[in-house]
Amino acid sequence: MPNIRYANMCHWKTIPYKQIDNFREFYYEDRTNTAYYSDWDRILRYQKALGYEGIELAPWDLADLLPLFGSPLAFTEFAAERGVTVTGMFHGAHASHKAAAFDEVVTAGRRAVDTIVEFGGIHMNTCPTSNYFGEGPLSSEAVRQCAKAINEVGKYATDHGVKVGLHNEFFCAINRENHREFIELTDARYVHYCVDTAQISIMGEDLLSFYEDYHDRICTFHLKDTASPNVPDQVRYSQDPEIADDGHRWFWEPGEGTLDLEGLYRLLKKHQFKGWISVEYDGSPDLLASMALTRYHLDMKLRPIYD
Amino acid sequence: MSYRDPAISLDMVNRHHQEPNRNRYESKYYWEELYELIAAAGFHAVEIPFEPVWNFGGRSGVPFTQYAIQAKYQNVDNYLAVLRGRGIERVAGVCFNPSLFMRNDSLDFYFGAAGHFAGLALEHAVSLGASYFNLSVTPAYGLVRHHHPDVEALIPGFLDRTLELVSQLAARADKAAIKLSLRNEYWSLLRGEAIERFLDRSPASVVFDVDTANLHISGVNVLDFISRNAPRIGSVHLTDTTFKDADETWKKPNPEFPTARATQVFRDIGQGSVDLSAALRALQAANYTGEITISCRQTRDPMRALLRARSWLNRQRSLTH
Repeated sequence: MPNIRYANMCHWKTIPYKQIDNFREFYYEDRTNTAYYSDWDRILRYQKALGYEGIELAPWDLADLLPLFGSPLAFTEFAAERGVTVTGMFHGAHASHKAAAFDEVVTAGRRAVDTIVEFGGIHMNTCPTSNYFGEGPLSSEAVRQCAKAINEVGKYATDHGVKVGLHNEFFCAINRENHREFIELTDARYVHYCVDTAQISIMGEDLLSFYEDYHDRICTFHLKDTASPNVPDQVRYSQDPEIADDGHRWFWEPGEGTLDLEGLYRLLKKHQFKGWISVEYDGSPDLLASMALTRYHLDMKLRPIYD
Repeated sequence: MSYRDPAISLDMVNRHHQEPNRNRYESKYYWEELYELIAAAGFHAVEIPFEPVWNFGGRSGVPFTQYAIQAKYQNVDNYLAVLRGRGIERVAGVCFNPSLFMRNDSLDFYFGAAGHFAGLALEHAVSLGASYFNLSVTPAYGLVRHHHPDVEALIPGFLDRTLELVSQLAARADKAAIKLSLRNEYWSLLRGEAIERFLDRSPASVVFDVDTANLHISGVNVLDFISRNAPRIGSVHLTDTTFKDADETWKKPNPEFPTARATQVFRDIGQGSVDLSAALRALQAANYTGEITISCRQTRDPMRALLRARSWLNRQRSLTH
């Protein structure tokens, strides 16, 4: 068993079919590649073929995925038949910095944990609160409130075998100026950290020193590259910066950006990281190509350092 | 003027399902180039699908809500100026499908969210100067059944609450002098001719949307429907299909994607088997003078759909000139 197992963070958006049995006929209807991106059977086969044995779901998948399969367990079994495990689900703890939202945030967090348990997952990678725009800068009290809510969700998650991993985004109200303060305010017994290698670098953290400092809190990763580390405040604090008006991409496949991912893997080896790493392709125009490109980089550059 | 100058719905851009390059659709630049290409294909009016999903998660590049317009253009006037600068002279209509709120076992949640966002969509249509606001009248039967296994017992009460929602919207539409039209997908709780009885119960200002493919799939004769309901037709979606619902797909949770046999339910205009020329003639015979909107909602390629639509229209010169 390798120390690291690789998952695919689900950015497929809506996949409308469970399984297409009339694949050739469907293709001939309009002779486009739509047929190749329309059923979970093939999506999961692509993953297995490229060595991604896990899938991390996104909450926005559920409205379509659950009616399609009937239940979380049915999807989990379908994926397992194709060699893929559900590792967990992303979660957004929106408004957790507001005391008035505490009950709602905790209830939503617990409900998400329950959903992950139903899928058989173990990770709930969680954006700490709302976007910076319209909310930031947060007061110290607001940061404490955010930690309080996440700790409460974390206790419930731990009791149910799920690890809450903080997942900070570069446009989150928890941002460069209070990122580490926030982490220190969370309870290490219940709240872990999911390093999104690109997001924290864009936010202004040095990836290697961050991992060195917090390696004992890190439960998993979202692995991706960026060519835009350390962007200025006016970008991170702007309205809806994640999708750039001009199509600028914040995120690239490992090896296509400028991050020292080989340095990170040397640190993973030093600290003997064990667990899932979700490779993430948000912003890619071609998820299948990104998966293959990443697999090549993993096999040729990163896994030789630490597997 | 609608026969000479039909609108095209921006629903031709696949926002929700996976395909290579779909990420472009979330950025502002994509749409601003698209408007020029729409005009280059000879269309000068568009329909906007109002989709609340773009209010959340920072996806305001998709220009389908007030929030998105404010985030990217500050106000509607600026947005309309951008449209005009790229050759789009009017927003013919705004359509809204509240099915995304049928996502749990709470009818209060569905009707609360559907009512709130339908109100916003109506306001948006008014501010854009649209001539119609088009509401998908119910979610899919199978989706309702997924969350409410007692769907058959539920339907009468569900329709009563739908009527209440429609009546409230009608009062607001009347004040704003915009038409409220009801779209009846082939999977709805009012599929087929049941919508006619529902409209009889609705305020007099509420009108039909003629969606040719949906009527065709549900077994309604499109020409008879137009003839029978001529005075109460308020908007038209020209849609095409070859689909025959032999497996009761309309009862499934996601009937736009038939599970028994994968197929493209809604084809690009002219690629299906609906007699759209006859439908145009029937509308003319019925003295319909409102907007006609071409919808290629499941196209595999919006550029191809645009030009296929233009090519089909070019073959209908006797009707459109």
